[in-house]
Amino acid sequence: MPEQSKHRADTRRESSRRVVQEKAAFGVIRGLSIFTIVILGLIVGFILYKGLRYSNETRSAMLPYAESAPDGISLIVNNQVRLKNIEFPVLYGIYTDEYINWSKISSDGFDLLPLVVDKSKNEGMKAASFLFGEDSVPQWGRLVKTVPDAATAIITVETTPGAAAIVSAADVAEAIGKGGLASKLCVVPVKRLEIAVSDDAVAIVDNKSLDDLDDATIARLMGGEIANWKELGGPDLPVRLAAPPAGSSLASAVAASGYKRIATPLGAPVKSSDYVASIQGGSGEAGYLFGSDVQASGVSTLTRKGVENGWNLTWNYLLEEPRLSGRVGGISTIILNTLFMLIITILIAAPIGVAAAVYLIEYAKQGPLMNILRLGTETLAGIPSIIFGLFGYLFFVTILHFGFGLLSGCLTLSLMILPTIVRTSEEALKSVPGSLLEGSLALGATKLQTIVKVAIPAAASGILTGLILGVGRAVGETAALIFTMGSDYKLAKGLFSSARVLSSHVYLLFAEGISFDRAFSTATVLIVIVLLFNFVARRLIERMGSQQ
Amino acid sequence: MKDGDDTGIKGKTMETARSKFEVQDLDLWYAQTQALKKVAIQVSPNAITALIGPSGCGKSTFLRVLDRMNDLIDAVRIEGKVLYDGTDIFSPETDVIELRKRIGMVFQKPNPFPMSIYDNIAYGPRVHGLKARSGAERRKLDELVERSLVNAALFDEVKDRLHKSAMGLSGGQQQRLCIARVLAVEPDVLLMDEPTSALDPISTAKIETLLDELKKHYTIVIVTHNMQQAGRVSDSTGFFLHGELVEFAPTKELFFNPKDKRTENYISGRFG
Repeated sequence: MPEQSKHRADTRRESSRRVVQEKAAFGVIRGLSIFTIVILGLIVGFILYKGLRYSNETRSAMLPYAESAPDGISLIVNNQVRLKNIEFPVLYGIYTDEYINWSKISSDGFDLLPLVVDKSKNEGMKAASFLFGEDSVPQWGRLVKTVPDAATAIITVETTPGAAAIVSAADVAEAIGKGGLASKLCVVPVKRLEIAVSDDAVAIVDNKSLDDLDDATIARLMGGEIANWKELGGPDLPVRLAAPPAGSSLASAVAASGYKRIATPLGAPVKSSDYVASIQGGSGEAGYLFGSDVQASGVSTLTRKGVENGWNLTWNYLLEEPRLSGRVGGISTIILNTLFMLIITILIAAPIGVAAAVYLIEYAKQGPLMNILRLGTETLAGIPSIIFGLFGYLFFVTILHFGFGLLSGCLTLSLMILPTIVRTSEEALKSVPGSLLEGSLALGATKLQTIVKVAIPAAASGILTGLILGVGRAVGETAALIFTMGSDYKLAKGLFSSARVLSSHVYLLFAEGISFDRAFSTATVLIVIVLLFNFVARRLIERMGSQQ
Repeated sequence: MKDGDDTGIKGKTMETARSKFEVQDLDLWYAQTQALKKVAIQVSPNAITALIGPSGCGKSTFLRVLDRMNDLIDAVRIEGKVLYDGTDIFSPETDVIELRKRIGMVFQKPNPFPMSIYDNIAYGPRVHGLKARSGAERRKLDELVERSLVNAALFDEVKDRLHKSAMGLSGGQQQRLCIARVLAVEPDVLLMDEPTSALDPISTAKIETLLDELKKHYTIVIVTHNMQQAGRVSDSTGFFLHGELVEFAPTKELFFNPKDKRTENYISGRFG
């Protein structure tokens, strides 16, 4: 029968259309949700990655080759100083009063004690010429202490965490061979090679100047593969390469470094000073040079562009106190301050919030007044935190004279998260079945007993969710805290003591341009704390759920 | 059900032939709607009184009047008199808490609290001030819990998991738990609002047997949708319609020889 088969075909088409529709809708929904999750994952992953690893472009005149015994002498420090290697200008700075402690050099908190052996001894002479060049007069800083011999210097370094000394490499080897306190010694390799160039090669011509060069380009340049400075963005000048004087310490250092150099010296000068002068006064010349000679002669140098990788978030960062506005040190006190803040805020906000919700749901007469109150709570929940911060500053800090401190900050935060806690607790209490409350009342329990023993336990998971939401907002809060809690990064000593928390630390590190890396690692700690908090709370809720 | 094993049940003398409840001219309004009209009834002690009628006829409302559960609803207005053991439950001197302790109520849907079986039973005694601080007090509470569970015919099924959540019990078990919970407060009257309507036939049968047992020691008023149930378990039956108590008589009489035409129509299944 044609009619029947037509009908059947219609039905089939209809059902296949429905299947397609269903599949399309499902696909779109699935696509969107996967997209959202991927974006979230990317954000968290990016912050975690940036927090854990750093990868910085470094720009410096120094080439990466580091010598542990340049010219037969070594820089030794106590092993409590975390220093893998040192660039010549920094070493120069240590001995010329540019630094007074290690914090800017190695992020350590020790005072600096640079030692040098008396100039009557061989290594004293060597140290002077190593730092200040062969022909110059040494300009020792006032912090530098002269010791009579190498043995005294080594013992001082072994026993003083902030001490550094330049002694002969042989003496160091001997001391280490003896063992004992020598395990405290640490030899720091020095980077002292640079590439000096003639002034006209780095001059700005037509608003252009020489690029910063990466290692590969430097190798090509020094290997003679680049004919004109123009190729490197510089002026239109032929490249001429100067070879270090044969037999000089510079020549042997370059040979040891394995850096590219042309085999035949061009117009080889004999004396070191002539070599420097030939580059400085030449045209388009380039050649290897020690930092000390650069320092003494003021010759121009190339800038090397390098990438430095390493661990950003280390145990030391978690366990050390911050110093110098967080530029160095860690965040231990800030983590503790954050925990204090969370505990105090919960202690203030949770009882008040739950009590308010109980009142609104179980006691207050529902009517227009209640609706206005509800609207008010909802509006409060949406008010920007900076407004709460201003209010907290005016009311708690100024009028009540609490000052900048934990108490003012936590009270402000409590005000800020109360609406969230009240609203979610209200919903949770509302969702407790009336039959449970009736059951309790019918047993002769009073209203208060019913609320405390039946309603609140039954609503506990919802109430806890509200608390977590509130605390999540509190732990990430910055604006409300800067005006009320202050930003002292020392450990809070009491309710009225100013305290910096993780979120404001991230903000200040970022806003004051102190360190992006540190801001990211602090952010990572913050994220991990929030995740931990959520995880623990979830377990609590699950455990409660399994009891029900 | 263990017949005759009632040594644990609190002994009550069968002295009063007087009515447990005496209700006179009871009117009840929900805002403007009158839900009960001039209801008058006498509930005899140690008997099961069943209240039947179609949905919305006021039988549950009436039951809730007896332990003043309607107090919880704001817009309710009540006129008339309800005497419980001769005292007016609406008089200002009446302590509602004490009243509800004496008059237990079991609801249509099992409503165990989200806590352990033990804590469910112990809830009533605890809110009435039984503190299980000393060992002796704890033993007393343990005994009370066990006795209540035995009397609600649930003990054997749950004795191994007293401290597990009550939410894991079956519907029928939950309802018997709710009965046990009421018994633990040692009441005098049991009000039951369609206690078996959410249960399967086997659970229903268990509860009906239980009712028969409980009747020896308690006065029971049961609201039911199920006329067979009323016929099976009750001693006297009241038929409600549109807020009026149409007829109240011993069960056999009401079912086999109804005086009112409306009763006859209802029980013969012409409406409702």
